[in-house]
Formats: sequence, structure tokens, C-alpha cells
Amino acid sequence: MNLWRPYTKAMLTNPFLWFWAVAFMAFWVAIGAFVESQGIGPSHATVVAYTTSWYALIVLFSLSMLAVAIANSLTYGSSALAYAFRFTRLTPEGYLGSIVGGSAILGGVLSFALLGATVGMFGSRFGSVLLPADPLGLLAVALLGGVFFMALSVTLILVVINYLGLRSASFVGFVPLLISFSLGNAQAYVALPRWLLYGSPFNDLASLLYQAYSGTPATVVLGTASAALDWSGLLLGVLLWTALLTGTSILLLRRIRARQLEEGRQI
Amino acid sequence: MRPAHGPDVLDVRDLDVRFPPAAAPALRGVRLRIDHGKMVIVGANGSGKTTLIRTILGLERPTSGSVTLDGQDVRSIRGATGLSTNLAEVYRLISLPVRDVVGVIARLKGGDPAEMLGRLHEFELDEVLGKRIYQLSTGQQKMLGNLFAVSFGASTILLDEPFDNVDFTRRRRFVRLLQELPADVLLNTHELELLVHFSGWQLGLMFEGRLIGPFAVAELDRLFLTRGARPDALATMETSLGTFSITRDAGDRPVKSATSLNALVEALA
Repeated sequence: MNLWRPYTKAMLTNPFLWFWAVAFMAFWVAIGAFVESQGIGPSHATVVAYTTSWYALIVLFSLSMLAVAIANSLTYGSSALAYAFRFTRLTPEGYLGSIVGGSAILGGVLSFALLGATVGMFGSRFGSVLLPADPLGLLAVALLGGVFFMALSVTLILVVINYLGLRSASFVGFVPLLISFSLGNAQAYVALPRWLLYGSPFNDLASLLYQAYSGTPATVVLGTASAALDWSGLLLGVLLWTALLTGTSILLLRRIRARQLEEGRQI
Repeated sequence: MRPAHGPDVLDVRDLDVRFPPAAAPALRGVRLRIDHGKMVIVGANGSGKTTLIRTILGLERPTSGSVTLDGQDVRSIRGATGLSTNLAEVYRLISLPVRDVVGVIARLKGGDPAEMLGRLHEFELDEVLGKRIYQLSTGQQKMLGNLFAVSFGASTILLDEPFDNVDFTRRRRFVRLLQELPADVLLNTHELELLVHFSGWQLGLMFEGRLIGPFAVAELDRLFLTRGARPDALATMETSLGTFSITRDAGDRPVKSATSLNALVEALA
């Protein structure tokens, strides 16, 4: 039993997701294009590095907003899932498969919506249209990013639902965004250790997005002339994390506990 | 639509449920068996009726005791599509308009969405189809849950306060629908006066987490509540206000005279 179509429809028609993951992120694209870009250029290589660095980080943040939306959906649906796994034909594996499919599609949609904003605004600022060097690669990384953030979000929120109680749900739901923001921005400004850059799926995704857009390998400090990162190592890192978290999600989903929403009230 | 298979046997044994830090258990030693029959449980708000249904569905963890459906523990059961409920929380699976949710639930239950759409039309609820569940009135949400519960070939139906916030006309229609359903039904209500509609059903009385019965709704006129433990009692119950007996044909107060079981016990205490 598969629900990926209704799940994707629910996500695509969620106005809050469009606001926070697209409109709000497009606002930051505008900041990157028109406010923070003083002193960038005129060299084409500098413009490319600057533009793609912004794009990679903005997509990372946008995907983490998708993770927040998925966490909220699970928080509200814990009783429905606990019931559905017992008294309908839905299985934990079928449900997870549905949100894997839906999240991958959402990853693609969000990344291409922000690609449009980036191309438009940075193109306007620098007077040249900068299209992705490897659009299929970009799409593949975006799909993988959607799945990774789904698996991370489902794992974190199910730990809360099953073992901690909903009072911490609203905070834990934002953990993917907080980590993305911290590690993503860190890579833009400081030389993080290589083990962290390869081992962190957030930096793996940002670096792979950078490479697919710019056509040049990502570097230790994103968009600078620092040491290059190997794409296969980055891909392996994010694939391993996605597989690990997806497997954990299945185990946690099988024992999902019904929680009353009132439990999540903070004050 | 008739059930795809015969009703399952629902067996509840010595069920205790506690919600720490509350000292008093929400359910105390509840025993219940639904096997090709219909039962209405009457009890005041807070007596444990909803907790009983949530525990049967595996949504609450029992402190002790068991709930089985056809011999299988509900906590480990999978794909038992014949059991259904009207609890609104179990239909919050996905945030889409009701028309889409109907399609999703029908697929998950192995049913035909046309059956549910037909029932919504019959109950003059077509207007809800384009809205999301949170946009519906409390009464509309209740009726939506009621109709989900009785659709898609359900053979064992658990209904929690199905008449709350439901208007008189729809109440009557739904009562008629329940009478005609070829399914086992367990229905909770706090409204004693509704029992006149369920004369062929079994009756359980719920008080402070204890389930007393079963009796027959048809013999309600003959049931009395009497203070103390009586040797001729059909059942006795230990409450925070003392011991009471349910007796037949004679006693302190007729059960049917009360607006609620709580009021009756308090009047006698």
C-alpha cells in the first residue's frame, strides 16, 4: 500500500511550506544577490563561485524546512499512524516508502524553484545568466537531499514521539534546520576538518550541490581557492547517512506510539 | 456494503490503565466480550469510556490485562481492516480536503470511496468534501468519523460518543443505520436517555473506570441502584462514595430515572 501521491499532493499544497521553504529562502537569495555581493566580480570564476555557494546553502536550508514540515506532520499523525498500521492495509514500510517518494519529489521541486530565483536574481545583479553545469546531477542531489532530510526528520521526531513525549517535539523538529544552518554557514567561512566535511551529510549535500551547479569540485571553504573535495566521498557520506537513518526510521515507525496533541502544549 | 468477513471476537480481560502521576486508575479490571452482538456503554464524562476504546485500539498502553481481536493481541495486530472507529484523531493521517482523505482511507481499508461519498450525501454533508478536517465544525467532524467507522465493510465498530454535537435529524438517521448494520458495535455515550433507541443491545454501565454488566438494554426499566452490597445483586460496584448494587425489580432508585449514572450514585451516597 503506497500513499506517495496524496502525500506529495499534501506537501505541494501546503502554503506554509511554500512560504518558509521557497518565499523566505528567495528573500535570502535576494540578500545574497543584491546586498551581500558588494565587491564580488568582475571575474567570471568569482561570480560562479559566489553564486553557487549561495545556492548550495539556500537549498540546504530549504530542504531542512521540508524536514520541519515532515516532523510536524508526524507529530499530528501519531495516533492515525498507530491506528493505520493495525487496522488498515498500510504498513510502516509502505508509509515510509510513500514519504521517501514524496520527499524526493519535494526536494526536486524546492531546489528548482530556488534555482529559478537564483538564476534570475544573481543574473540580474551580475548581468549574466548562470545555468547549472550539470542539471541532472543537480536534480539527483536534490532528490537525495529530500530523502536524507525526510529520514533525519522522521528518526528524530519518532524518538520524541515514542520515548520522550510531545513537549520536546516543536524544538526537536527544528534540529535539522539548526544543524544545516550551523554547518552550512561554517563551511562558507572557515576551514572545517576534512573528516567532518565528508562525514557530515549536510556538508556533503551542500558540496555536491555546489559541484553540480558550478561544474567544479567543491572546496573545503566553499567557493574559495582552498583544497578540493572528492565528489565520490561526499556522495558516499550522504548515502550512508540516508541508509542508516531510513533503516532506523523503519524500526521506530513499527513501534510508533499514539500521542495526544495536548501533550505538546508548552505553556 | 456488507462486511468482507464475519465480525471478529473482541475480548477485553481484566484491563487496568493508569496515567501517572494520577493516583486513580482510568480503567479498573474491565472485562468485556463482543461476539456477534452490539453493546452500549453508558457512563459520565471522565468515567473511562474513551480510554477503553483507545486502549482497545492499541492507542493507550494497559497497565495490566489484555485486549485481543480474534485471539490476537491488538498491540501486535497488523492489517485488521474489519475493525473501525469514529475517533477523529485516527483520520488525521494526511492534510488534504475531505474528498481526498475519503479516497485515502478507502484504499487503506480496501473499500470503495463511493460508499463513503454516498453516505456523506445521504447525511447531507456534501459541503464538507472540499474542506480540510480542521475546517469542519465539531458536529461535522463527529459525523465524518461516524461515517468512516461504518463504511468500507467494517465488521467490528467502536463508537465514542457518536451523538455529541450532532443534530437531531442526523442522530435519528445514524441510529437507524447502526440498527441495520450487519456488524458488531461497541458504542459509548454519557446520555442515558439515548438508550431507548438501542433496545436489542447489551448494556454496560461505566463508573470510575469500572464496567458493570452486561445487562440487556430492554430490561433497563427493571434495573435499580441500591446502596450497599445486596445478596440478590446482579452486580456490585466499589466506588469512592461507597458500595452500590444493581438489582432487578426493586431497589433504592430506578436506573432509568437518572440523567446520568454519576447523579444517581451521588443522590444515593
